[in-house]
Amino acid sequence: MSTTAARAQTAVGDATDRRDILPSVGEALATPSDFTSQAVRRERAATRGWQRLRRVNPLTFFWLLIVLILVLPILLFLTVAISPSLLDQGSQAFTLSSFADALTGQLFVGFLDSLVIGISTAVLSAVIGFALSWVVLRTNAPGRRIWTGVVFALLLTPSYLIALGWERLLEPNGVLEVIGWDTTGLRGVFYGPVGIVIVLTVKGIPFAYLAISNAMRGLGHEYEDAIRVHGGGKVTAMRTVVTLLAPAMWSALAIVFAESISDFGVASTLANDSHFPVATYTLYNAIEAFPVNFPVASAVSWLLLVLVVLALFAQNRALRGRSFRVLGGRSRPAIRHQLGVPGKVITTTLLTLLLLFALGVPTFGAVAASLIDGLGSLAGTHQLDFANYQRVIGSPQLSQPLLYSAWLAAITATVTVVLAAVCARLLANSGTSIGGRILDLVLLAAVALPGIVFAAGYIFAYNLPFVNSIGIHIYGTTMLLLLAYIATALPSTSRVLVGTMSQIQESMAQASRIHGSGAIRSWLSIVLPITARPLLTAWLLTYTATLLELPVSQLLAPPGSEPISVGITTTLSKYDFGGGTALEVLAILSALAVVAIAYALFRFVAPAGWKNIGETR
Amino acid sequence: MSALEREPVGEGIRLRGVSKTYGTVPALRGVDLDIAASRFTVLLGPSGSGKTTLLRGIAGIERFDTGSIHFGAQLISEGSQNVPSERRGLSMVFQDYALWPHMTVRQNVAYAIRRRRLGSADAATQVSGALERVGLEAKAGAFPHELSGGQQQRVALARAIVGDPRLVLFDEPLSNLDADLRERLRVEIATLTRASGATALYITHDQAEAFALADQIGILNQGRIEQLGTPEEIYRAPATPFVAQFTGLAGSFAGIYVGDRDGYSQVRVGDHQFLCTNSTALAAHVKVDLLVRPTASRLLPIPDRWSHPESVSSGDIEATIIDVAYRGRGYDHVVDCAYGRLVSIFDARAWPRGTRCLLRIDPDGCLAFPRLMHQSGSNER
Repeated sequence: MSTTAARAQTAVGDATDRRDILPSVGEALATPSDFTSQAVRRERAATRGWQRLRRVNPLTFFWLLIVLILVLPILLFLTVAISPSLLDQGSQAFTLSSFADALTGQLFVGFLDSLVIGISTAVLSAVIGFALSWVVLRTNAPGRRIWTGVVFALLLTPSYLIALGWERLLEPNGVLEVIGWDTTGLRGVFYGPVGIVIVLTVKGIPFAYLAISNAMRGLGHEYEDAIRVHGGGKVTAMRTVVTLLAPAMWSALAIVFAESISDFGVASTLANDSHFPVATYTLYNAIEAFPVNFPVASAVSWLLLVLVVLALFAQNRALRGRSFRVLGGRSRPAIRHQLGVPGKVITTTLLTLLLLFALGVPTFGAVAASLIDGLGSLAGTHQLDFANYQRVIGSPQLSQPLLYSAWLAAITATVTVVLAAVCARLLANSGTSIGGRILDLVLLAAVALPGIVFAAGYIFAYNLPFVNSIGIHIYGTTMLLLLAYIATALPSTSRVLVGTMSQIQESMAQASRIHGSGAIRSWLSIVLPITARPLLTAWLLTYTATLLELPVSQLLAPPGSEPISVGITTTLSKYDFGGGTALEVLAILSALAVVAIAYALFRFVAPAGWKNIGETR
Repeated sequence: MSALEREPVGEGIRLRGVSKTYGTVPALRGVDLDIAASRFTVLLGPSGSGKTTLLRGIAGIERFDTGSIHFGAQLISEGSQNVPSERRGLSMVFQDYALWPHMTVRQNVAYAIRRRRLGSADAATQVSGALERVGLEAKAGAFPHELSGGQQQRVALARAIVGDPRLVLFDEPLSNLDADLRERLRVEIATLTRASGATALYITHDQAEAFALADQIGILNQGRIEQLGTPEEIYRAPATPFVAQFTGLAGSFAGIYVGDRDGYSQVRVGDHQFLCTNSTALAAHVKVDLLVRPTASRLLPIPDRWSHPESVSSGDIEATIIDVAYRGRGYDHVVDCAYGRLVSIFDARAWPRGTRCLLRIDPDGCLAFPRLMHQSGSNER
C-alpha cells in the first residue's frame, strides 16, 4: 500500500498552502562577545556540546536523514544499470547493455504486458469511476451513501488479498469445485490478462472515484442548465460535464496507470499463477534468481520508473494549465436527478453488482475457503467448520507471523508518524525555499517508486562490500526490514500530513513562542494536540498498510521470521488453502480490531480539547 | 499619573538601522525607531509598508537582516546575537486571535503566565483577575470556538496582559471585527494596556484607530518611517506629502509658491491665491502641490453681488457639487472646481447635486509641498 494513500491524495489534487519561513528550532545563540546582558550571557553558557546542534537548520538535518534512508540505496541500485563496474557488478564502466537485456525475451514480454494491463485498467477504472461518481453525487439512487466507506475499504485492501480471494473460488479444488461447480471455463478466462485487469480495476476504482468525484463536487449545475436552456438535450449536457471534468479524468487515468504497473500483489499471485509475466514480477525473479543479475534488475526498474514518472507528469500537466476553474463562490450546488422507479432499480442493481464484484466475491472466496476444513489438500474433511482457525491459532508456526508483523507495523507506524509530522511541518512552512522544494521533490519521487524497486534497491545497497566494511551488517535482519518499512511509509505519510500541517495557522505556534514557550514545548503543547486526530489517522493508515505489505516483506524478510503477508503466501503455496485463508481473515480482523481500539481510546481517553478540532455539528 | 494608570513597568524600545529584504523586495530600509517606555506607540501605514515586518522582527518571529534591537539596556538582537522569542518578555495580540483551540479560555490565559513560575494559587488569581478585567470570567471554561470573534479577541487581550509583560505587541487586532465591536474593543485595549503600565506597540492601516489610540504615531511608507510624533503633530504638520495624504486629504491643487504673508505661505493656483502652511522651506517661485485637508474646506452660497476678480486673494473659489453622501451626523460632498476635485467636504445640510457654490479654503488646513518631493505614495493631479 505504501504509496496508495499518497497517490490517492495526489489524485484529488494537493491542497498544500506554502507559508513563509518560520524560525528554525533554536536560533543561533550568542557568540562570545564582550556584551554583558544577562540573557545573552545565559545563551552563551548554553552554547555547549549538543546545544550547538541547535544552530543547524533542522531542515538541513532532516534532509540528510531522508537522503540516507531513502535516496542512497535506490540511487546506488539504479546506478548499477548504467555503470556496473562502479559497484563491482560487472566489468563495464558505462554501458546500456542491461537495458538491451531488459528489452528482450521474457523481460520485454513482461514490460509490454504491464503496459497493456496498465492502459486497460486505467480506461476501465476511469469509466467505472465516472459512472460511480455520477450516480453517487448527481442522482438520488438508494444506497449511495455507503460508497465512501466502500471506496475507503477498497483503498486499504491489499491487491494480493483480492486476487487470492478470486483464486480460492476458481482454482482446481477451490471453493466452487468443492460445492460441485466446474470452474474450468471460468478459470481459463480469469487466469490471464482478463482476471488481472479485473482485480487491478477493482483497486483502481477508488483512485478514479476520488479524483473525479472531487472535481464533480465542485461543478455547479449552471453549465448543464445553460445547455438545456439553449436547446441542448441530456446527452449534450452530459458531454459538457465530461469535457469540464477532463483534467480530473486525465488525472484518474494517469494515477490508475501508475498504480497498476507498479503493483506487485496481483503480479505475484494471480499473474504468476496464470503464467502471465508482468514487469514487477520479472524484477522479483531477477532478484531472487541465483546468481542475481543486478544490472538487468536495475534496468527493469528504470523502465518501470520512467513509465510511472511519465504518468504522474501527465497527471500534473492535466491538472495545471487549462482553465477549468469552475469552482467558485458563484457555483450553485448541483441538483440531484430524481430517478424514477426503473432508474432506481437499474442503478441499485448495478451498484450492488459492482459491490459484489469488487469486495463481495473475493471476501466470500477467502472466508468460505477458511471455513472449509483442509481446503486444497486431500486430507481434511472438507466440512464447513472452524477447524482451519483452530489449527492456525494453535500452531505457533502459523500464528507467529501475525504477531511479528503486528509488532513491526506498530513500531513502523510510530516512528513514521513522528518523522512524517516533522517532515510535513517543515514542508508546510518552508515549501518555497530551496531546501523545501528539493525535499518535496524527493518525497514525490519516493512515492512514485514501486515498492518492489525499493526493496530491490535495499537488497543491493545493504549487501555491498563497502557497506559491510563500514560496520553496517543489517542485511538479513529485522532491523533492515523495519528500516525499509519506515522508508516506504515515510513519503506517503508525510504527504498525507502536509495538508493538515498546512492548515495550522502560523499564529498558533508563534503565539506560543511569544508567550514564553520554547520551540520544543510549543510543538508538544500546541501543534501535536491540534493535530491529534489526523496524526492518529495517519498512524492507523501506516499500521494497516505495513501489516499487510507484500513486496518489501517478501524480499527483505529475515530468515526464520516471516511477516504475515509472506506467511499467507507460503501457506497457500503449500496447498494449505484453508490455513492460508484463515490467516488472511485473522490478519484483517486484527487490523480492524486495532483501528477500533485506537478510536475508542481516543474517544474516551483523550482530553476534551483534542477532540474539538475537526468536529462537525 | 491618573487613577487609570500605574507605575510604569514597561521599557523603552530602541531600533537602529533595521533592514529586511524578502528575496529582491526590501521590506524595511534602515529604520531607526525609539518607542517610549510605558507609552502607546502606533505604527500606521498601508499594506506593504513594512509595519508587519517590523513588528514580527521585534517579536522574534523573524530576524532582521541588519540593525539592532534593544529593550531598555538589554541587547535583544544584533548581527548573530539573538535572544529567542520566548525569552524577550513579550506578549502579543494577533489579528486572527490565535487562541489555542484545544484549550479552554482559562487554560489559554494560564499558558501565558507559566513563564513567571508562580505558585498555582498565585497563577490562578492572576488568571482570574485578567479574565475579570476583560469581563469574561463567566466564560472561563468555554472553548474558543464557542465564543464570538469579539469575545475571542478579549480573551487574547487577557492573555496578553496577564503576568505584566514589559512589552505588548498588537498586530492589527481589530481588523477582523465588526465595526460596532471595533470601537468598544479599542477602548478596552487602550484602558487595559495603560492600566498595566506596559509599553505597547500597535500596528494598523486605519488612520482613525491610530489617532484614537496613540501617544505617539510612526507613519511607515515602503520600509521607511516618514514621520514620528504625536497625533496632533502628524495631523497639523505632516513632514511629507505621503503622510499628509495617508492621514486624510480632500484633494490637491497644483500651484506656485509666491512668498509669505501674515505668517502663512502664499501659493498661486491659476487665477487664485491661497494662504497655507508648509513644513519644508520653499524657494521662491518653486512649483508646489497644495494639499487640502477635509476640515479646511467649507461650502458657502454664492452671494448676489458675486464678481470673480474680487475673490482672487480671498481663498474662495467657485465650485459645483458633484455628489452628496449621508453620514448620519451630516453630509459629505464631492465638489469640482477649476483646479480639481475635492472630496469629503462636510456640511450639516445637504447641498443638491449640480448646485454651484463657493468653496472656502482655510489656511490652517492647507499644506504646501514642493513638487520634487513627490514619491509614488502621494495623490497627484
